[in-house]
Amino acid sequence: MAIETKIDGTNVIATVSGEIDGKSAPQLQSELLAALQDGNRLLVDMKGVTYLSSAGLRMLLLLYRQIATKKGKVVLVGVSDEIRDTMSMTGFINFFTLVDTQEAGISALS
Amino acid sequence: MIPLCLPATLDSLDEIGKYIVAATTEAKLETKPAYGLRLAVDEIATNIITHGYEETGKAGNVTVSGEITDSSLTIVLEDSGIPFDPLSRKLPSEDELNLPLEERDIGGLGIFLVLKGVDSFSYEFINGKNRNMFTMNLPGKA
Repeated sequence: MAIETKIDGTNVIATVSGEIDGKSAPQLQSELLAALQDGNRLLVDMKGVTYLSSAGLRMLLLLYRQIATKKGKVVLVGVSDEIRDTMSMTGFINFFTLVDTQEAGISALS
Repeated sequence: MIPLCLPATLDSLDEIGKYIVAATTEAKLETKPAYGLRLAVDEIATNIITHGYEETGKAGNVTVSGEITDSSLTIVLEDSGIPFDPLSRKLPSEDELNLPLEERDIGGLGIFLVLKGVDSFSYEFINGKNRNMFTMNLPGKA
């Protein structure tokens, strides 16, 4: 798992790749929460994410709650079909905006 | 397939994942069921490692093995951590899965994904070991 974050005004743009599992999710979670100190709109580019377990769902839940208290928004970019399936059978998908490109994601944030 | 014995630490999740990917490739499972099986095994392995070993301060191993027949692919996880039957966990109901995320209790989602991901799942505690068994039907070969 690899993560890169950049902050653009109140937008936090994170690019994540690899597998989000019980080992990598806590690390990713703390990096994203730290980046959110400075903003309340989060875009996570997940085009390079090949796997997400319930530990990843737990992380998404926590980020969502954190951002909801700051009246912000979370946009996920390039979520794979398999991860979409996991998010939809657990009812997570309705709470996130999913788009295909970073450009579409950035306009969805504003 | 040759069984793989790994230390019961979160670092081993990667190796277990690779073993399942190799098994699903060999069994020629399609992408979606292959992903479902990998997710199911990973969820249980994560539970075994965190609840069965790390939280209790116990050290030990997890063994993963795979068997492919004409009609099925079976993966077995065995460990000597504290006895734990995943099927004893209360699963989230349909109503709970529709709750807003603000009101969600996240517990039980892992086991829910296990049961959604495989054709059959069973658990037994035998000879002092937890034995979790995951089976996928191979329709093309039956």
